[in-house]
Formats: sequence, structure tokens, C-alpha cells
Amino acid sequence: MEQAAPAITARGLTKRFGDITAVDALDLELPAGRIYGLLGPNGSGKTTLIRLLVGLAKPTSGEARVLGVKMPDRENLARIGYMTQADGIYIELSVWENLRFFAALSGTGDRKAMDDVLSLVHLSERKTAPALNLSGGMRRRLSLACALVHRPSVLFLDEPTVGIDPALRVEFWKYFRELAAAGTTIVVSSHVMDEADRCDELLLMFHGKVLARGSGAEIRQQAGVDDMEGAFLKLGGGESEVAATAA
Amino acid sequence: MNLRRTLAISRRIADLFRRDHRTLALMFMAPIVIMALLGWVIRDQAPTDTRVAIVNTAGAPGEVIGSHIGDTLTAAGLTYRADVTTQDAARQALIDNQLDVALVLSLNGQVPGIKFLTLGVNPTQDSGHVQAVQQAVRTALGDSGSSIAQESVYGTGDGDFFNAFSPALVGYLVYFLVFILTGISFLRERIGGTLERLLATPVRRSEIVVGYSLGFAIFATLQVALVLAYTLGSVHVAPIGPLPEINIGLGVPIAGSPALAFVITLLLAISAVNLGIFLSTFARTEFQILQFIPLVIIPQGLLSGIFWPVSSLPDILQPIAALMPMTYGIDGLREVLIRGSGLGDAAVQLDIAVLAGLSLFLAVAAVLTIRREVA
Repeated sequence: MEQAAPAITARGLTKRFGDITAVDALDLELPAGRIYGLLGPNGSGKTTLIRLLVGLAKPTSGEARVLGVKMPDRENLARIGYMTQADGIYIELSVWENLRFFAALSGTGDRKAMDDVLSLVHLSERKTAPALNLSGGMRRRLSLACALVHRPSVLFLDEPTVGIDPALRVEFWKYFRELAAAGTTIVVSSHVMDEADRCDELLLMFHGKVLARGSGAEIRQQAGVDDMEGAFLKLGGGESEVAATAA
Repeated sequence: MNLRRTLAISRRIADLFRRDHRTLALMFMAPIVIMALLGWVIRDQAPTDTRVAIVNTAGAPGEVIGSHIGDTLTAAGLTYRADVTTQDAARQALIDNQLDVALVLSLNGQVPGIKFLTLGVNPTQDSGHVQAVQQAVRTALGDSGSSIAQESVYGTGDGDFFNAFSPALVGYLVYFLVFILTGISFLRERIGGTLERLLATPVRRSEIVVGYSLGFAIFATLQVALVLAYTLGSVHVAPIGPLPEINIGLGVPIAGSPALAFVITLLLAISAVNLGIFLSTFARTEFQILQFIPLVIIPQGLLSGIFWPVSSLPDILQPIAALMPMTYGIDGLREVLIRGSGLGDAAVQLDIAVLAGLSLFLAVAAVLTIRREVA
């Protein structure tokens, strides 16, 4: 299938922290309206890449563009949603107050959008509950709701399904699919291999570089194995990284 | 009790200190630094001259006693202002900072009465001067059974230290509590991932700092209003059944506008908000925010003029005191509540202007510590 204008581009995108190169001269072009899976072991540069794309980190060299705008760009953030690895919610506030706060910062106060997103993450019943009283999985759901509430065109999800039960995980993916069909570009970082096949395209990251790119089937074929874990191990080429990934 | 488990817990605490060098250093250094500062401030205060006037209202016998005391004062190295001879002139000289104590002599039958008239803005300072004069009077008169009284131009002058200290205490407490609350609150933004998330929205860094200041200002407003009302007001509650009668509120008498005192305290609170945001950059845990108390709050308590006038501090410490928001907050509150100064007075204008300037400076510093690039 062919492809709309790129929602995300990177040209020679590099980020160094002292001697460590977290993202290494990355060139990317990700067309809009698709779900991209960012796979890689811990420390492979997934989160740094997402932070560069969101504009929370400045590249050492090269550039990143989201929706055609060079990042970092404050105004452009109104069109971007970001679910961090940490929950990033206010535990003293209620579910609704958290949602209202992040909606306001992104310039929207659309009650219906807030209700819709709460119902999606199955938290409508807990609207008035303090986030402190929510289970870990519920907090993760609230965190996702806060990233979605302003209906972003590009959505970055850093390990979104950690701590979420399998039934809800299926539902999340169904919703991600609906969002993508409506034109939202989604970048999901994960090291849960069974989620890989739910993505339209996978980017396998090792040491700050994308070593392989393609659909799940293409990557398995490239590695010459039948399963994603095997492909991941083979293309990554390091047992120690695998151990970190499995952790 | 299982010794092994108990020791495991003790060991964990020891490991914690071993890993957290800052806490360890602070635990040993902070008491030394504070004691050193205290010793320095108390021992090396600039020797202040005590300027004394004698006001005689006791006729001819008073002339004799007054002249005798005057000679003793001069012999004791105090400055005797023989040119100030009336109560009105003495009061004006006190207000103009031309005089420290006026000795008012009276005669009650055969018993000489002595009244020490002071300014009443800083009780520690006044009592130092009065002590020096008392010494000289005792030398001059021996134990003659004279009655001794004290009065001040401002305040109640009845020796109630609390009345004169309360404006400073109100400012200090509000500053301290607001600083701790903001520091911890903003630290949690930084370490809890919410700041990262905030910065992934179109919000400006200045909006975060101003929003914080406003949010805390609402509660600081209530806090300041409540503290001032409790300190200045007093409600008498008649005995109810077996309960004794009580007074709610401290009933500290004031000379100036509580509204103006409120504005000064609020400015002080806003500077504390911005300082809290700024310093939260340098902490990784709530524990480390509390460590700023001996570094930031206690030195301001010692140097800002709450206990000793800034002008009597050792020379090196005076410029440091001049950089502290508390110095201006305390001075402003004393000016307004004790001296009864208003917005038209230069001293109050200066205090408010400097406080506003320092708050703005700290706000800019706070904005600069909020960086989109956290890693």
C-alpha cells in the first residue's frame, strides 16, 4: 500500500551523552496514518529517539521533523501526544482532574472528548477517584487517556501496555488501529514481542541504530526464522541484549 | 526481638548514608556551620555606640541626679546627648536614629523614678542599649531603691518581647512553609515524570512558574490572612460550663495597616515559591529538599535582622543579608506594623521594590531551571 506524506522524518539524527551515542545518525521517513513499533533492548535508544521526536531532547546533530515541523517546536506539541514510560500523572488529583489538566495544557476543554477517552480506557466509573487509589494498570490507562485527550495527529507511546491485563491490551490495540485508520500516526515502543505483529511496520533498534525495518513477516524472513523472538535475537546478534530485553 | 533482622535494618540506614554523601556531609557540617555562623554573628557584632539623653522632670533634685548620671555615662564610654532635654525632643531623636535611649527622671515623693525610653522596633537592640545604660545608672545611684520603668516610642513598650518579634515571626514562618511546600511539590514534578509530560505540551516554562506562583499565592494569601488575624486579633471567650475563659488570638498591638503588611508577606511568599522551584533542581529526593533548611532558611533567620539589626552584623555578612528576601520582608513588616509606616514612606517603598525585584529575579532563575531537555 502506498503512502501519504511522511508524518515523521529524521535526517542524520544523532544524540550523544558524553561518550555514549544514544541515537546514531538516524535517517527515517515514516508516512502518516500507520502504527510503527519501535523494538529494541533496554538502552538501545528507543526512549531517546522518542524524546528527540517529541522535542524533549535537542539533537547533537541532524534534525527531526514531525508533521513537517522541525523539532523542538512548542506550538507543534498541540498536535502531538506523548505517553511517557513513567505514569506522569498527579496521584493526589482525581482521574477527571488529571484529564482536565492535560486537556487544558493542550488547548482543549472538550468535555465529550474527555468522556470518550475515559470510556475507552474503562475509567468512567472511577472518574472521581483519586489516582492514588488506582491500581498500577489503571494508572497506566489514565496516563494513556491523558496522552489522547487532545486528539493528537501523532502519538508517541513509550511502553504503553506494561502492567495492563491481556483483555484490555487487546482493546488498546483495537483503538490504536481505529486511530491509525482515522489518520493518526502512532509510534509505540515496546519489548513485548507478541505486540510486534500488531504494528504496520517495525523498527528494530540496537545501539542507537535501526538495524532492520519492515513488517513482522518481512523481518522474520530477513532473519530467516519463524518467530519474532528468534528474529530479534538473530538481528541483534547479542545474547546479553536479549537477556536485558527479556527482563 | 531478632538481632540479625534489627541489625539488617540499621545497616540499611548506614548504607543509605554511605551512598548519599550529601546527606552525610550535611549531617556533620550543618550543625558546625550554623554554630559558627551564630558565634560569628553574636560575638563579632559591630560594637555599637549607645547614645543617651537625660530628660529631667523631677525639678532641682533631678538636676543633681541627672548630672551625676551624665558624668557616669560619659565615664562609661557612652555618648551623652546633653542637648536633648525634653521628652518630645527625645522621641524625635529616637525616631530619627539620633538617639538610642532616653532616661526620663521623675520624683515620686522621695523615691527617684527612672524610665528608659527606647524606639521599640527591634527588642534585642533596645535591650542591649538599655543594659549598657542600666549599668551606668547603677554605678551612679547605687541601690537607691529607685523605681525603674521602660517605655518605647513604638509598640507597647511594656517589655513584651513577643509584640515586637511577632511581625518578624509571621514573615519567617510563612516564608519557611511556602518554600518547603513548593520545593517538594516541584521536585515531585521533576522526578514523578509529570514535568516531562508538561513539557511535551505547548505550555511555556514561564507559564509553569507563574502558574505555580499564582496557585501557591492563593493558599499563601489564606495562610497569611489567617496568621495575621490570629497574631493581631484577640477574641475573648467567656467561660462555658466547666471550661475556663480563654482568649483566642494573640492580640499583638499594631501601628500600621494590616493590608500593607499582608502585601509584604505575600511578596515574601512569592519569592519563597520561586526559590523553591529553583532549588528543587538541585535535589533528587524530598529528603534533599529538607536539607535546604539549614542552608537557606536558618541563615536567613540569623542574618535578616529578626534577632539582631543587619547593621550590627560583621561586615562580611552584611552584603549577604542584603541579598536575602527575608531582610526586606522583616524590615517592611516592622516598618508597617510597629512604626506605622505607610506606602508613602521611603523605607516601605524600598522594601516592597526590592522584594518584588528579588521575586522577579528568582522567577527568572526558576524558569531557567526548567529545561525541556531533562536527560
